[in-house]
Formats: sequence, C-alpha cells, structure tokens
Amino acid sequence: MADLLSTGVSGLLAAQVGLSTTGHNVSNANTDGYSRQQVTFAARVPQAEGRYYVGTGVDTQAVQRAYSQYLNSALWSASSSKGRADAYQALTDQLNNQLSGSSNLQSSLDTFFGAVQDVANAPSDASARGVLLARAGALASTFRSLSGQFGSLDGQVQRQLTDTVASINSDSAAIAKLNERIRASTGSGEPSDLLDQRDALIKKLCGEVGISVAKQNDGTLSVFVGNGQALVSGTQSYELGTAPNTYDATRLEVVDKGTGAVLSGRIGGGTLGALLDFRSNVLDPAQNQLGRAALAMADAFNAQHAQGVDLNGQLGGTFFNVAGPAVQAASSNAGSATLSAGIDDIGALGSQDYVLSFDGSAWNLKDGSGATVAMTGTGTAADPFKAGGLSFVVGGGAASAGDSFRIQPSRNAAGSINVAITDPNKIAAASALLGSAAGTNTGSGSVGALSVADGSDANLFTASSIVFSSPTSYSIDGGPAQTFTPGTPIVHNGWSLTLDGAPAAGDSFGIKANANARGDNANALKLGAVANLGVLDGGATSVGRAYGQLVGQVGSAGSLADDAATTQTAVYNQAMAAQQSVSGVNMDEEAANLVRYQQAYQASAQVITAANTVFNALLGAFRG
Amino acid sequence: MRVSTSWMQQQSVNTMMERQGDLSDIQTQMGTGKRINQPSDDPVGAARAVELTHLGADTTQYQRNITSANARLGLEDQTLSSVSDVLDRVRTLTLQGMNATQTDESRADIAAELVQLRGQLLGIANSKDSQGDYLFAGNRTGAQPFISQGSVSYAGDQGQRMVAAGPGLQVATGDPGSTIFMDIPTGNGTFAVGAAAGNTGSAVAGATSVVDATAWNGGSYQVTFTAPDAYEVRDGGGALVASGSYDTQKGGMVAFNGVQVAFSGTPAAGDSFSVAPSSKQSVFDTLDGIIANFTQTNTGGPGMQNALNGQLSNLDQAVGSVTRARASVGARMNALDQQGSLNDDLTLQYQTALSDTQDLNYYDAVSKLSLQSSALQAAQLTFSKLQNMSLFDYLK
Repeated sequence: MADLLSTGVSGLLAAQVGLSTTGHNVSNANTDGYSRQQVTFAARVPQAEGRYYVGTGVDTQAVQRAYSQYLNSALWSASSSKGRADAYQALTDQLNNQLSGSSNLQSSLDTFFGAVQDVANAPSDASARGVLLARAGALASTFRSLSGQFGSLDGQVQRQLTDTVASINSDSAAIAKLNERIRASTGSGEPSDLLDQRDALIKKLCGEVGISVAKQNDGTLSVFVGNGQALVSGTQSYELGTAPNTYDATRLEVVDKGTGAVLSGRIGGGTLGALLDFRSNVLDPAQNQLGRAALAMADAFNAQHAQGVDLNGQLGGTFFNVAGPAVQAASSNAGSATLSAGIDDIGALGSQDYVLSFDGSAWNLKDGSGATVAMTGTGTAADPFKAGGLSFVVGGGAASAGDSFRIQPSRNAAGSINVAITDPNKIAAASALLGSAAGTNTGSGSVGALSVADGSDANLFTASSIVFSSPTSYSIDGGPAQTFTPGTPIVHNGWSLTLDGAPAAGDSFGIKANANARGDNANALKLGAVANLGVLDGGATSVGRAYGQLVGQVGSAGSLADDAATTQTAVYNQAMAAQQSVSGVNMDEEAANLVRYQQAYQASAQVITAANTVFNALLGAFRG
Repeated sequence: MRVSTSWMQQQSVNTMMERQGDLSDIQTQMGTGKRINQPSDDPVGAARAVELTHLGADTTQYQRNITSANARLGLEDQTLSSVSDVLDRVRTLTLQGMNATQTDESRADIAAELVQLRGQLLGIANSKDSQGDYLFAGNRTGAQPFISQGSVSYAGDQGQRMVAAGPGLQVATGDPGSTIFMDIPTGNGTFAVGAAAGNTGSAVAGATSVVDATAWNGGSYQVTFTAPDAYEVRDGGGALVASGSYDTQKGGMVAFNGVQVAFSGTPAAGDSFSVAPSSKQSVFDTLDGIIANFTQTNTGGPGMQNALNGQLSNLDQAVGSVTRARASVGARMNALDQQGSLNDDLTLQYQTALSDTQDLNYYDAVSKLSLQSSALQAAQLTFSKLQNMSLFDYLK
C-alpha cells in the first residue's frame, strides 16, 4: 500500500503545478501579448497486479500556452492595417485643421479683390491704393503661411520617419535576440513566455511597417519588409535607414542600410507606410495645388497689371513676385548638362511633378506616376521642349546616359509669393493706350480690344494713326499698305488692336498714350475681374476655385482616412477579440481553476493522510 | 465563447472613449454652430462653402461699388442742377436784355451780371469731388479741365469712369466735361441761321425747324432778299435752290430742302442770311457772345436781335445738353438701384445656401447630444456593473 502515498504525492504535485499556472495566468491577466497557459495531466503507467492494474497517480505532462497561429496572423495583419490607418488619419486630420484655421485663403482673396474694386472706385485715392497694397501683402502672407504649415507638416513627417525607422530597428534587434533564446530553449519544452514576448514584438512591428513573417524549423521567425527585404533572419537582424532623396537632399527616403537601396516606394502598411503614403499622395499634391493657385494668381494679375499705366505714367510692372518651376538635378548625374524650366502656358499646368531623363540619345519626360509624357521642341533656347504647360531648355555640357532632373512646377510657388511694389502710385489702374475712331469716319469700324503686346517697345506711347485706303487695305503712319482681315489684330509699336465693324475707305483710327489719366480705372476694373477669371485648366478654373479644389481634395483625403481608421479599428477589435477568446485570461475561469486545484490539493493531502492512517493501523495491529 | 477579462474591460473603455469622442464632436459643432468644422467633415460641402463665401463676398463688394457710384452720380446730378439754375438765369437775363425798352446802360448792367454767371459756371464746371478729383475732366481728374484764357478751353479727355455693379454690369459714374459744356451743337442742332453783317433792313430770323429730315442734305445756303417781299435761296456753288415771296402776314416763312426759317420785320433788298449746318460751340462761347452783344453801345437793332436769337438757340442747346446728362445720370442711378436690389436678393440666396451647406441643425444636434450622452451613460453603467461581477468575490 506504499503506492497510495506516492499516488497522493503525485496528485499533490500536479495540483501545485495547476495552482502556480493559474496564479501565473491571474498575474499576467493584463500583460500585453500574454497567452493564458494550460496544464496537461496524464495518468501514470499503472502497476500490474496479476489480473488487474492499479493506478499509480498523475503526471504533469506539459504547461502550454493557448495559442492559434491562424488567429495570431490575422491579428498581426489587422494591426498593420490599423497602424497605417491611425497614423494616416492623424496626419490628414492635421492638414484638415490647417485648412479650417484662420488662414482661410478664400477670404484673403476676396478681401484683396475687394480692395482692387475700391481702387477702381477711386483710382487716384492714395488711401485706397495703400489699402490695396496692404491687402496684397496679406494675401501673399496667407499663401506663405499655408505653405509654411504644409512645410512644417512635411518636417513632422520626416521626424516621424526617422523615429519610426529607429523603432523598427530596435524591434528587429529584439526579435533576433528572442529568436536566439527560443532556439536555445526549444529542447526543454515550449518556452511560452518567450514566444509570447516575440509575438508581441512582431505585433508591434506590424503596427510600424507592413511585414511578412516566416517560421523556420529551428523555432526562429524570419521577418521581411517590402519585396522580401529581410529585417530579421534567424538570430541576425538587418537595419533600415534614412537617406536623402536623390533629387532633394532635404527630403529623407527609407533605405536598406546595408545596400543603400531605396525602399520608400515599396513599403506599405504600418506607421511607416502611412507616413510615406501621406507624404507622396496627400501632402505633396496639396502643396503643388496651393502653389498652382499662387502661380495662377501672380501670372494672371501681373499680366493684367502690365496692360495698364500707373500714376507716374509708367507701364504697370510686376505686382507679385513668385518662384517659377524648381529644377533639381539627380545627385547621381555624371554629365554636365543643366536644365532650366519655365512656365509656357499656365492654363495647361497640372499639379504633378516631372522627371526628365537622358537615355544616351534622347530626353524623355515622365510624370509622377512614371508614365511617359510627349514633348514638342528640341530643348534649345530657341525651340525648348514643351509639355504640360512647361518649357525646358537643356544647357551646359553633354549629358550622360541615365542623367535625370526632377521638375516641380509649383512646389515652391506658394511659399515664395510676395508683393513686388511698395509705392501705391505704381498700381497701374489706368489703361495704357487710348484708341479712337476719327469723327469723320463713314464706316462702322470701331476700336475693339486694344492691348499692350510688348511693353518693352520704345515707341509704345508714340501716337499712331491707321488710315484705310479701302475697306480691306490700310496703312499705319503713312507706312506701306497692309491687308485688313476682320478679326485679325493689327500689331504696331508694341500694341495690338482689334477693329470691330467694317471700316470704309478714308476712315482713320488714332492710337495714343492715355496721358495724365489719374481718374481712369479701366485697368483696375480688369484687375478686379481677375478674381473670377478662368486661368487654370485651359480657362476652366479660377484662382479661388483652385483653392476650393484643394479644400475638397484635402477634405476627401481626410474623410477617407477617418472612414479607414474606423473600419480598421473595427477589424482590429474583431481580430483581437477572436485571438483573446483563445489566448486571453478569463478571471472567472481562473477562479474556478483555483478552486479546482485547491480542492485537488486538499484531496491529495487527504489521500496522504489516509495512507498514513492505514499505515498507522497496520503498525497498531503489530503493537497489539 | 470565452472572453478575456482584460479585453472585455478594454472594450468597455474603448466604447466609452468613442462615445466621448462623439460628444466632443457635437460639442464643437454646437459651439461653432457649424456642421462643417474642417474640410474632412464634408469635403464636397466644404468646397461648396468656399465657393458660396466667395460669391457672397463678390456681391457685397458690388454693393460697396454701387454705394460709391451712387455718391459720385448724386454729386454729378447736384452739380448739373446748379448748372441748370445758372443757365436758366442766363436765359431770363438774355430775354430781358433783348427787350426793346432796354438802354445801353441797363444792358451793361445785365452784361455785368452775366459776367458773374459765367464765372460761376466756370467754377461749377471745374468742381471737385470728395477725393479732390475734378468731376468733369474725363479721366484726367488731376488737372483743372476748363481753362479760361480769353475763351475757355478743355484740358480733360473723353474718358468715362466705370464701376462694376454686378457680374457683367458696368455703369458709367461720370460724364466728360467736353460733352456737357464744350461740344454743344449750334442753332437748332441741325442748322444755324446767321445774319450778314451789312444788312440794312429790319428783318430778324426767328424760329427755325426741320420739316423733313430726309430732304435736308447738310449743306450751306444763302437766303437773299431780292426785294422786301421776295427771297431766293442759293447753295454754296451759287445755284438757285428755291425762291418765293416774303410776306410777314403769312408767317414770313422761308422754306427749302426740308427746313424752314421764320423771319419777321422788313428786309432791305440785298439783305442776306446764311443757313449752315450746326457746328460745335461751348456754353462759355455762347455766354461770351451774349455778353459781347450787351456791352456794345447803341445797339438794340435788328443786328443785335439776330445775333442774340442765334445765341439764344445755342443756349437752349446747352440747357438741353445739361438736361440730357441729368436724365442719363438718373437712368444710371436707377440701373444701379435695380442691380442693388438684385444683389441684395443674391446675397440672401447665397447666405441661405451657405447656411444650408455648413450650418448646424440645432434640433438635430440637441437630439443627437442627448442620444450620445445616454449612450455614454450606458457604457459607464455597463463598465461599473461588470467590474462588480467576479467569481473571486464569492470565494471568501
């Protein structure tokens, strides 16, 4: 009967293991990534007693974590999507906040054009002119401040990029270390707590960057990012790094630290994916769109301003200064060719960036998506390449195959716009030229559009007369006879004139400078009309509408990000609930287990007592 | 299904957080009174709100422009009204001076007053607006437009300042002084009659009229009385155009080529009158002409009568020019008023649309608020109940 004692002791020990495991579970109920552990018991090999077997107690077979590889993988994937969605939402939310703030561009535009109208109402009033300059300054500063806010968001993205890469590197290193310890301890049962720690790190890494995980036979996990770039392989970890963009040294890209290969375009998921995605798909287009509005504003206003004369009788000069397209040479360029870019047609200007590259024999232009854009011209100053409203002139020395330049047409425009004139008298409110039909004319011809075609012509303000010798033939200032085609402008001395109606033989028209016209507001009225003038997209979009487009664009990115964050949070919660239903600790269950093992322990102790009593009874029998 | 205790707690906390987030959103909306607080709240609505705000601002500016234009036109109207008053006085004085009872002395007195009136008229023509701009200088508002050196010359131009009163509507807020004061047609606007200097009879040209505008060819003609009761009309080349008998009993009409001139008095044979197409004369020249007639001594005869009759027609043309300008100013102010009320309607419409787009429906928001706060309370209650339910509580 000595076996009873041993059986009792085995039960006692098993109950102890059960109790400590339950205690472990209770203690780790709130540990992140912890999987509840379960004890597996088995009956010992029975003792053969002739015709029957007598049981010999219990063995503790294993303490294992409740774990489902499938549910865990689902959780990792949900974590990656949620990490991306959350970071993306936080960033777009900031951008949206910036557009809803006090620096509302539309109200600045409206105030500015209101001031232009006020000048039109009182063209010689110095105070109205002064107010216009102040409003113009405020408008430029709104452009700059919005651009600056976008810029600081860009800086924040860069810092987050660096921080996230550092965090990814430290997590990869920690995973590699855990791999090592797990491999070493696999022989003596499953190291549940180490596995849990590693799973928790993988989950954290998933939140930072989209990864794929492969389990190796020795118990280690390999982690890959992008297109199979290893972060962890066995017990070895590989670092990501940041390096300047090839075109723009101030912009950081994510690279493989070992090889220097740029990974930015291939990273999806997680915070890092969100940062890169936000930067290239929301922030850059927003900055470009804002810049496009600034360019359109400056271009249209300057063009109209140059049509008028100021209070000093001078042709209107540049009103707004604005930076043109930015050209950045690749740091890898081997040739000595240079590139300059200018705006050829603002109406055709898009909001994307371009890359012009040399393949050894010809230059090719590609847009942001990598699609080839057809160009006209030969790239010389006389016949520049033209595409997308831009013109490119290749200069300098010879280019090597593979050399490339990036062109950002409007990236720096909004940040650089400022008012060029400081003297209120230099606002060109009056029209530059006066055209009139002679009183003795017998035809129905009248002076239609009269504009300054070339402000640099020295004879622009010289009075001229157009005399018709017949309804189809005219001469200017006694010059050679020219054929009159209705609707075709007559160009002379830097002005361009369209005659409406039908002139008769002997009719004459005079063109002269609009001298001393302090009260003329003709050009100011036209400047005011620039507010609603279709400048962009082939004349379909005004400056204000371009800003409306930007608001809509940023708003819908924000609204999509909000929706995605809500959806991904729900997906994550579901995955988490499913995983926790297997691996999570339930306190009531543990309480029941505690009672169960406590009772088992007490019962086993009772068995030992019984064995003792039986043994004592036997001893007593001998004592008589 | 098994549930993990800590996850259950986390879920409760998450639910409370979400409800609190919803409440905070509603609080922001109710605080600002706006449904759209940042573009992502409603991207399409936000872009539309930008557009509507712009349209509203445009219309407000048009109203400002109209106010400024009305002030300018009002000033012009007032000034022109003073011009009318002066011209009326000139007309009265001229008629008075033509009266046969006047003597050289009394005519000189009238001339003195006319000189004063001329000065007054010149002052009005050179008046400035509140910004110190000359009102009748066209666009050359910085320099005095009417300069009196002997006769009066015009230094302004023909420019007319326009104002944008609405989308596509521009209204002139001024008239160049040349059309009001300078380029005034003489005679009856079609032709003018003048007496030859050597006339010896007492014939005076009176009322003139165009009977048939299509028959008038705009040429110059000479009406010559071949006898006290007969006339002939010859054109510039000396060709006879018409002839007839002159009879004051029958109105003394001389008619040819669609026009007629009424004569009174008795002409001497050989007296002649010119009938020429209207030319341009300034109101100042007309005044000067009248004054010159009144300051000549020993006059009052047919020569002065003829000259003054001519100047009186010219004066009437000047009065007509001022009246037309005032009518045109009135019409423009009317147009501005109409555009103004249209702009008011548009402003209201834009504001309504903007409010529909971005403003909060408070009834909706208040009911949402109470719903959300109940949801938060429910979540909190659930959490506190769950916290009290643990098997450990019973194991004592």
